This record gives sequence, structure tokens and C-alpha cells, in this order.
Amino acid sequence: MGRGDAAAGDGGLMDILALPRLVWEFVVYLFAVMPDLLPIILSLATPLALGALCGVLGERSGVVNIGIEGIMLMAAFFGYLTGFALHEPLGTGAALALGIVVAVATGALLGLLHAWLTVTVRADQIIAGTMMNIAAFGVTGYLNRLIITPSGRGGAGVIPPFHLPDQLATLPFLGPILAMFLDQGPIAMSVILLVLISQFALFRTRWGLRTRAVGEHPKAADTVGIDVFRQRYLNVIVGCGIAGLAGAYLTLESTGSFQNGMTNGRGFIALAAVIFGRWTPLGSLLGALLFGTATAFGIIVNVRPAEGDLGTLMKTIPTFWYAALPYLITVVILAGVVGRSTPPAADGIPYAKEGKG
Amino acid sequence: MKRLLAICAAVGLVAAACGVIPGTGSGLKIGLVTDIGQLEDKSFNEFSWKGVQDGAKAVGGTAQAIVTKDIADYKQNIQQFVDQKYDVIVTVGFLISTDTLNAAKANPSIQFFGVDQFIPDPIPANYQGLLFNEAQAGYLAGIVAGTITKSGKIGAVGGRSDVPPVVNYIKGYENGAKSVKSTVTVSINYVEDFNAPDKGEASAKTMIGQGVDVLFQVAGLTGAGVLRAACNAKVYGIGVDVDQYLSLPDSAACIITSAEKHLQNATRDGIKRFKDKGKQTGNFTNDATNDGVGASPIRNLNPVPAGLTDKLTQATNDMKSGKLKPIP
Repeated sequence: MGRGDAAAGDGGLMDILALPRLVWEFVVYLFAVMPDLLPIILSLATPLALGALCGVLGERSGVVNIGIEGIMLMAAFFGYLTGFALHEPLGTGAALALGIVVAVATGALLGLLHAWLTVTVRADQIIAGTMMNIAAFGVTGYLNRLIITPSGRGGAGVIPPFHLPDQLATLPFLGPILAMFLDQGPIAMSVILLVLISQFALFRTRWGLRTRAVGEHPKAADTVGIDVFRQRYLNVIVGCGIAGLAGAYLTLESTGSFQNGMTNGRGFIALAAVIFGRWTPLGSLLGALLFGTATAFGIIVNVRPAEGDLGTLMKTIPTFWYAALPYLITVVILAGVVGRSTPPAADGIPYAKEGKG
Repeated sequence: MKRLLAICAAVGLVAAACGVIPGTGSGLKIGLVTDIGQLEDKSFNEFSWKGVQDGAKAVGGTAQAIVTKDIADYKQNIQQFVDQKYDVIVTVGFLISTDTLNAAKANPSIQFFGVDQFIPDPIPANYQGLLFNEAQAGYLAGIVAGTITKSGKIGAVGGRSDVPPVVNYIKGYENGAKSVKSTVTVSINYVEDFNAPDKGEASAKTMIGQGVDVLFQVAGLTGAGVLRAACNAKVYGIGVDVDQYLSLPDSAACIITSAEKHLQNATRDGIKRFKDKGKQTGNFTNDATNDGVGASPIRNLNPVPAGLTDKLTQATNDMKSGKLKPIP
């Protein structure tokens, strides 16, 4: 009411002030919802960050893997299947632990297949990855229909998340930040650790130097005695094992159930995070977190709507736009950043020794 | 080597394309085109399909299902059954209604049933919409939620805000809860995605953080994440469409009840009506009067709060008699 009167009396001034005031209200709103926003970001970003790590490790050694989506899905399924089959004889804890092991092993095995196809046989890397995605969708869907659906019973449940003690969680400002990283399940928490280790290993160890050499200039690496094949095999297998962990996260930590095609494009968004992060583990984690933040924001906007003029404005935007926000941000960022980020020089190119081409 | 690769790729393609399930029996050929997603969605597609199988068995026919993977495939999936000269085609979901209407107009000799599809006039003589009064089912779920909430805050997560049945469920839920506790606050989030359990879980977590202690999900697979979060936080969950205590064993520990559409009966009875009386048309509403909707048995509450069962029975009776309108 008051605003209407003021606008009638002094329209020009109100218009000038309206935008900064809305921006200010938005900043205040963001701070107000921070305690709700932060704790859910990591859980949304985890599969993306792990998938991106798989992409980074492979591509740094010169092997592109667009089959991350399929590998995650296969690992998610076989991890779930293990928990499903074993939780009665072995108990929930052991079944879940074995489920994770099986998921990682599934990822690593598929990594071996991908490495064989792309390194030894020198198949087109994009085709090999595409095959992985299509096959994974069919195989898991088929086995799901064959084994899990008719049984009508559930899996082993989920790995329980850690709970931050209330004294810490309720700390002003610090509490939500702690909750973001510590009020999570073990796989989500392992993301930070894995990324830090990979970042260190890639840039500070002999293995990392060799990986980068093989990815930038395999011939030069070969002439100084680095086994290009071995290095690529190793990286792809380890990376895909990590993608397998992402699969385990989906079925064993996040949802506790398997659904056909449940990776839902995450493997591809992970690839976008790789590019966003310029082929570094830390950078791609940031990319994944950004995507997670945008997704979380889309949720928070509905669950904790803003008040006042800002609330009115935000309500006029259909909820579909908030749901699309992460994808819009991905497009914008890739369009802005890709121009300046360059992949490893030998990325995607199979290596053939002299005379064996 | 190239040949091996080709074989691998072919195996993958064939496995991915295996959307067609063979049925049994002989006589009437009945086809089901699902909504986007999967046949074993433990919800809409699955129970409509079960009803179609039951119906086929009852009339001595055969049943086939085509699983829709993408919104763009609705038309051609229906056409597949038309081309194979099916007698009855059942399509599932609100989103497929336009394509079903067009197919019904183009093929007057085939009987079409549309689960959850409201058909505007003029309705073809060979097309019947199988509707449900979601608001009634939601209202009953709301009575349960309003009765069991301790914090006075309840929540609902919807799949999409442009799908009327979803919105009706949630409106009914809100009104039902307020009918038993007028001070109750209802927080509602439309995730705008039926296939994102992680978003459902995140929504639920946030609501629980706000003090919500009963969560109603109307969001397909997204809703599985909602119920999961409810279980993790040890608050109450309410399922939707089918008795999810039975269909989602992973979350059975915290599901109190489900707002049910009796889908399996609806498709089965439609097929029987067609067999007995010929072409079916119009919008057939399954509601409290014909036991088309309801609340699943109360689970996980020991003892069941005093008077809850009576309140549910009373509301059901009032809805039958028309005295109670869940959305005024």
C-alpha cells in the first residue's frame, strides 16, 4: 500500500530504487536460506564430482570416455543387486559394504573393457563410450525386470549418513558450512578426499607427471621409456572405478533403490564439469558443486519462498525455470569458459607405436 | 576386431529396445502404451499394466506393452498397435492424451482407453477417459497427516505443477489436513521432474529441516527420494497412486498410508465393459462412490491414533453421498 502511494507521488525515484532494493532483498534472502541450501548441495553434486574425476583421470592420459553415464548405471545396478541378494544372509552392513566393493569393481572392469577397446584395439573412443551407454541401459533394464522387479522386495537399504552433533550444527554461520561437508554419507564425504588426493597426485607425483606426458605427447613419453599403454590402462581403470563409486552412491547411499536409467544424464553433466574445471580434479569439483548449488537453489526457492516484493517477483517465474536453472548455467558457463580452456593435446587420439600404425 | 565391436553394439541396441513384453492367451488384442519412464515404476505404468493383464485374462485376450522413453514417441508407439490391428489400446497418463485423441479419431474401429485422461467434447465414440477423483484420495491422506503431525507442519512434493491430477491430490491433501487441524501449515514443492529421486530427497530434507514431520509425495520416481529422506529422518511418509508400503519395500518402514487410485481395477474393468457392452465413450470417473480411490490401510502406527479410522470412514461416506467436496 505504502509503496503504491509513493510510486504514485514519485514514480521516477521508485523505479530507480526498485532494482537495487530487489538485489539487496535477494542477497538477504540468500543468507537467510543458506542453512537449508548448503547441506543439500554436496549430495546433489556427489555423483557429478565422482563422474568428473573419472573423466579427468582418463582424459589427462589421452582417453576420452563418454561412457561414464553407462558405467555409473551398471555399477549402480550391480552394487544394488549385491545388497539385494546378500542382505538377508549377511546382514545389512556387510551387504552394503560388499555392494560398494562390487560397484567399484564393476566400474573398474568396464574401465578395463574401455581401455582395451580404445588403447589396445584403437577403436574410436566416442563410439566405444556410446556403446557403453546404450548397452548399460539395456542390460540393467533387462536384469532389473528379470531379477529385482518380480521379487517384490527391497534392497539392503542405505548407508546411514553421519549426523553432525547439534552443538556444532546450530553454530551461527559456521554450522551450515560444517553440515555441508560433514552431515553427509561416507561416499559423499569421500568426494572431497578423492579430489584432493587426485589433485595432488596429478600435479605432484611421478604418476601424475607420466599421466600428463602421455596425455599431451605420447610419442615423447614413449621415447623416454614411459609405457603409454600401461599408463592409459591404469588411468582409465582407476577412473572408471571411481565412476563405479558414483553408481554405488546413487543406489546404496542416496536412494536405496534401483530404477531403470536412474543416472538420468549425470554422466554427461560430469563431462561438462570436466571441461568447466579445465581437466583438473579441483576445478571439476567446483563445476559439480556449482551445478549442485543451482539444483539446490531451484528446490529452496519453492520450499522456502522469499517474502515481500522479491517473493512476488520470484513467484511470477514458473517453477520450470528454477528446475532448468542448472542446465542453463551449464550452457552459459561452457559457452563462456570453453573458449579459454584447452584439453590435453593427445586427448581422444589412440596411440600407435612407430611402424605399427 | 571391428566385427566384435559391431556385435557388442548390436547386443546393446537390442537389449535397449526390448520394450515389448509378451502376453498370454488368445482372442482380443489389447495394447498398453506407458507414460514416460519404465514399466516397473512401482506405480502408474506398472499397475495400469497389471490391470490390462488381468482384463486380458478375464476376456481371454492377449496383452502387450510398449514402454515410452520420450515424450516424442507417444504417437508412434500408439501407431505400432494400430498397425498391428489391436482391438483395444490403453494409454497411460495425462501427457499422452492429445496423441490418444488423435489416434481415436483416425481409427474409429479401435477402442481406446486413456488412464488419467480427461477428454474434452466432442468425445469420439471409441475413446473413454479413465479418471480418478484424486482430490478425494488426497483429502483422506490429508486427514491422516493432520492427525499424526506433532509439529503442526506437513509437506507435499509434487512432480509437475502443470499436471492437474498432481495438483488435485495436493489440494485435497491440504484441505483434508486442515479439516482435522485448522492451524496446520502445508509446505508444497513442485520439483517439475518425475524422474529425479535426488531432487525429491533434497526437497524433503529441506522441509524436514523446517520442522515438517509428515511428507506426502505425488512425484513418481522423484517421490521415492522423498520417502527415502522421510525414512532417514524418521518422520512420516505418505505414498501415492498405489499402496506404496507394498510397492516400495525400501521405504516401507516409514510409510503410514498412501492416497490410492485403484488403477488395476480401472483398466481391468474398462476392458471388461468393452467386452460386455461394446464401445465405451465419455469420461469415466473412478471415485469414492465406485471404490475407485481410497486411502491404503494405516501402517507403522501402533496404536493407530484414536478416532483416525472413524474420521476416514466418515469422510469417505460423506464423499460418497456428495456432502463433502474435497476441493470446494
